[in-house]
Parts: sequence; structure tokens; C-alpha cells
Amino acid sequence: MNKRIAIFVMALVVSISSAGAQSKAWEILREIVLVPGVSGHEGPAADYVQKMLPAGLKTERDAMHNVWFTVGSGKPHILFVAHVDELGWTVDRITPEGRLKVKPGGGILPQTVEARPVLVHTKRGPVAGIVAPRPGYDERRPNAEEPEPPFTAESFDVYLGVGTEAEARALGVAEGDSLTAKKTITDFAPGLMATRAVDDRAGCAALLDAALRLKPDAVKGKTVTFAWDVQEETGLFGAAELAKILKPDYVFAIDTFVSTDSPLESKRLAFLPVGKGAVLRAVDSSNVTPKTEIRKVLALAEKRKIPVQVGNSRGGNDGSVFLTGGAVDIPLSWPGSYAHSLIEKIDRRDLEALTDLILAIVAEWK
Amino acid sequence: MAHRVARTLGMITAVACVAAAAAGAADLRTLTKELFAVPSTTGNEHELAAKIRGLLPKTLAIEEDGLGTVAVRLSGSAGPVLVLAALDGYGHMVSGITPDGYLTVDRPVAPPHARFDAYLLGQPVVVTTAKGPVRGVVSQPALHLLTQERRKSLVDGFSLETAFIDIAVRSDKEARAKGVELLDAVTYPAVLTELAGGQWAGPSLGLKAVAAVLVDIAAGPRSGSAGGEAMVAWAAQTKFAARGRGARPALGAARAKTKWQPQRAVIVDVVAAGKGDGAPVPGGGPVLIQAKAEPSSLLQAFIKLAAEAKIPVQSVTAADSPLALPFAAAPSEVLTVALPVRFLNTPSEIVDLEDLQALRDLLAAFLTKGAGR
Repeated sequence: MNKRIAIFVMALVVSISSAGAQSKAWEILREIVLVPGVSGHEGPAADYVQKMLPAGLKTERDAMHNVWFTVGSGKPHILFVAHVDELGWTVDRITPEGRLKVKPGGGILPQTVEARPVLVHTKRGPVAGIVAPRPGYDERRPNAEEPEPPFTAESFDVYLGVGTEAEARALGVAEGDSLTAKKTITDFAPGLMATRAVDDRAGCAALLDAALRLKPDAVKGKTVTFAWDVQEETGLFGAAELAKILKPDYVFAIDTFVSTDSPLESKRLAFLPVGKGAVLRAVDSSNVTPKTEIRKVLALAEKRKIPVQVGNSRGGNDGSVFLTGGAVDIPLSWPGSYAHSLIEKIDRRDLEALTDLILAIVAEWK
Repeated sequence: MAHRVARTLGMITAVACVAAAAAGAADLRTLTKELFAVPSTTGNEHELAAKIRGLLPKTLAIEEDGLGTVAVRLSGSAGPVLVLAALDGYGHMVSGITPDGYLTVDRPVAPPHARFDAYLLGQPVVVTTAKGPVRGVVSQPALHLLTQERRKSLVDGFSLETAFIDIAVRSDKEARAKGVELLDAVTYPAVLTELAGGQWAGPSLGLKAVAAVLVDIAAGPRSGSAGGEAMVAWAAQTKFAARGRGARPALGAARAKTKWQPQRAVIVDVVAAGKGDGAPVPGGGPVLIQAKAEPSSLLQAFIKLAAEAKIPVQSVTAADSPLALPFAAAPSEVLTVALPVRFLNTPSEIVDLEDLQALRDLLAAFLTKGAGR
């Protein structure tokens, strides 16, 4: 009987201790993905990051809303960085009819938001609107041979349910307010979803999860910085600001790997399937990762049995800003289908492998 | 004393009426939300039909036509009349499953306009299967890998030829294991957006709001039956045109005409609004649509009822819609009473809740007070 109790207590202890180390990245992602943070308007997303970080960590935040903390000391200095900003728009002006004209804030296909709901993030809270369909959308074009006028962020307007500028302003809407698509999460299955802003909230969630599981005292013989930066989508501006004060030897930018795991893409490059593990971006539009570093990462992953895929794709990463300062840029990712869309797809296993890889690098990178 | 009692009773009655009206408004909104959540496209109306059947009082005998149409008989003063709304909306369906598990897409009927299919690009969708809803997304090309040529063909020229639904499986076997079959309905998730000014937006919202109005009326209390029975019907397959020569009536409406042989029909429909150039105005009240320039007795009756009840209405002369066509030939009489909808036949149809309430009140007045025929 006593033996049975002892086994039960042991099982309970093991269960509790392992639960403490379990990844919460997926749950964090499902929350943070819904927090608005268009480039230049990242305050709420930065607040979320700071709120989630362990109280004992000394975090810093600059005027741009870059957030970071550093643990350990000595060389090498390793920087992990993910961007909190997302694609969206800002209010350019309000028409006399109470509609909003907007400025684009990064690459998203305007066609995918035509006749779709958006949220205007005003000082008084979110205000819902609909991107008006193009004029004459339901009419037969008089000359079908002529090319259709393009539907662009500059040409569309947002209907708020009001008919005058004064009524729009009475809702709290003002020039400069940011807009995001109204986000919905498509759950394909447990641990498999698609939504807006997985780029790069998945990177943010992986870093947050790693920070929560990190034991700062265990970081010995190196300096480790975790950073959540801003304005990546509009030109890596947040990273550039960080690069003025942080001089890492290695930078691991955590951002989307643009995967061709889709029926519409050629598989000649970037075909890293969703669900097959974290990703090391060997080549993208901003960086070539040295083969020596790729081998180091893969050896580490193999040792810890972390599934990692290596591939080349397109798109830039924040780590490239630190290259001129002497850092080695090793971008880490997850395979992301449908990048820069309302339906960015992600698998929980990939995200958790990414978190495990970050923690492995913190522990063992030399 | 008698005066004071009468006054008090009057006040109580007034308060009760206001409360009832408020409760009615709340009920109509709740009903609209309930129906909005249920997918219904041509040939796949069974879930919405079941939902409506479940909302109707058990005391009402439900009649069906074998096509999916649901109808009930109501006592009232309107006299023999068919009040008919559509049960089906425009949408898509599964046309095939690729070996790697992506779903191809088709339409059961011609689209309402040329851009209708293009709204699918890069959107979440719901596939309604016999095993329940399956969530998916319509693939779009990755922006970082998009060349000018591919943008032209896959984005600007998006069509059903390049529409693939990703349900996150790797084979047709896995897709079938989720319950996906050919002809399953493909619709947008029922996400309602509440706008300023008492307006709601969502996919197929106009259709569901109109269906909810008829449910609200059918489920409400009835007055005497002096005028005889009115038939209230939610017709299936109305976006499908009956084959034959000449004008193309809606199949579901033509079938209802054959089955119930009404001499008078009130079609409750949606109409594009907010487009300027004399088009109906959202918030301006229900729209009375008649093909003939001279007002019919039905139109005159509705105008009179609206004036008596101080319900705002708009009038339009336009050709009979496919829904009204089967009832248009003499000696039958038909009038379309429509809910003005902004951005009609887009994924964000916008309905003004005051129009919705006015439509309900006008139809309820017609069915309870009669048409004065």
C-alpha cells in the first residue's frame, strides 16, 4: 500500500514538474495574434509582451516601443529578435460622407479585404467598418475588354455605418488611427490554425514562451538578449534602432519562413511542409546563413531531438540589420503557408519545436 | 373614478405595447443572429429549413414541397395570400478533391455578378458536411513569391479554376475521413460585424434577416381568422432558374405557385441599396417593388397600412424578379416587399435594423389587419 502511495506521489511530482516546463507558446500565440499592432502603432502589442514577461526580469522599452531584456554576461552575446508589428493601414482622411481613406502599412493583397470587415483602433476603442467593394462591383462593365481599374489601399474606402464626417469623428475616429483586418481564427484541427498576423506574432509567442521557461541563473558564460521590436514590415526600423545599442555576436531573427506548402506554388524552392518542424532560413532576401552555423544548429537540434528543416525562400529579416555591426545572422522560423494574408497557417508542433530550439541555443550555443 | 381607472388602464396598455414592441425588436435581432449562423445555399438549404422548423410553434402544421421549401398556414385578416421568401443564398460547393487533399470549388447556380467568385481569394470558409462543419481556407499565393505574371493570373484574374480549399489534410482519403463529399456547401464563416448607426454586416445577411422576419411573424400571436388563411413560405432553390422558354422564374417560387396556387402573392426579398441614382436608401424603410406603373390593389393596401402605422416605405417600379415572376401573370397579383441591403451579394451585406423592424411591422400589419381586398 505504502509503495503504491509512493509511486502515486512520484508520478504526481513528475507530472507537476514537467507541466511547469510545458510550452505555452500556442496559447500565447492565440492571444497575442488578436492584439492590434500595425507598424508604428505597436503600443498594445508591446504592452502585452511586457505584461507576459516574468516579473523578475529587468525589461527595457524605448520610445518606439521596442522591448527587450538581457541575462548573463560575457561572450558571445546572442540576440533573439521577433517583431510585434503587423500589416494594416492608417486613416489618411475622413470624407464628407463619413468614409475613411487609408494609407497602406505593408504588403497585403487589397483584393482580400474588399467587402470585408476591419477595425479602426481609436483612442476610445475599436470601431468596426467595412472596406467598401469597388464601385459598380455588381454591374456589367460597359467595355469588358478594357482593363479594370486596380483595387488598391489608396483607392478603397471604409464604410463605418455613418453618413457624415462629423458622425465619423463622433465615433472617435481620427486621422492617424490604425486599422487592421477583423481577425478570425480558423481552427482546422487542435493545434493547427490559420489567421491574420501569425507573421510575426508566432515569433513573439515563441520568444515569450522561451522567456517564461528560461532560468536566467542558468545562463553562464554568455550574454543573452531577447527583443521584441517594431516597424519590421515597413523597413526594419525598430531593429535599426536596437542595433545602435545592442552589438550581438549572433542574432537569431525569429520570423516567418515563406513556405510553398500550398497548391498554388512551385515547389522548386521553399517547400518546407507545415507540421514538419521548426525552420532554419538558409537564404532569404536579406541574408545568407553561413554553412558552419547551419551545421551547428542542426547538430544541436539532432542532439535534443528537435525537428528542424532547412530551406531557402524570400523575404527579409530583422537580423540582417545587425550584419554590418559584425553579427552572424541565423534566422529561425516555422513553415508558414500563405504569408502576408488573412489566413497565415501554422502548426503547433512547429511553434513548440521553435521554442525548444531557442532554449537549446540559449543553453548550449558557444 | 371611472376616468382614472380608464386612464390607468390606458397607461398600462401603452407601457405593455411599448414593452411588447421592445421585446419584439429584441426577438427579431436574436432570430436574425440565429438564422445568420446557419449556412444555406441553393440545394443545401436543409440546415436552415430544419432551424426554421424548430423555431416555429408546434401548433403550426408545417407543409413541404419535396424541394426543401417550408411553409405554414396562418389565420388572419389578409385573406388567401402566399407570403414567400427565399431559403437559399448564393454560395459555392465542393466539386472535387485533389489527391493531395485540396478541395476544388464550383457554384450550384450562376453568380449574381462577375466579381462574386473573386471574394473567395485568401478567405476562411466553412464546408458543411454530413459529419458537421469543416473549417478551411481558400489558398492564395504567397506575396513574397509573387511575380507580375502570377499576380495577373492568380490574383487579378482569380477564378474558380485556381480556387483550392485547404482543410489542412494531406490526401483525398483524409479529406473524406473528415466527412467531405461532393456538393457540400462552401460558405463564409458567419461572422457578424456590428456597425455604427444600428447596422449589421455579414455574409448572406439580407437573406437571413428576411427569413427571420417571417419566422418572427409566424411565431407571433395571431388575431382572428375572418379573412382566411395566409400561407407563409421559405422557398428552396430560388437561385436556380426553372428551365423553359422566355423569362426565367426561380424554381422554388415556380414550384410554390404550382403547389399552393395563390391568387395573390407577397414576395419578401432583398434589394440593392445605397447606390445613388434613385436606388433605394438604407434606413428609408422597406421597398415596395412592382413591375406595373399603375398601383395594384396589393401595393395600395401596403401603402395605406404603412401610412396608418407610420412605417416608412420606399416605392420602386422595376421588372419582376425571378422570385415574383411565377405569380405575375393575370389574374394573379404579386407585390415584392424588399429589405434594402447595402453591398448586396458581397461577403459583407449591410442591413439597417430599423429597416428590418419596419419590414416586420409592415408584414405583420398586413397579415393581421388585412389587405382590404
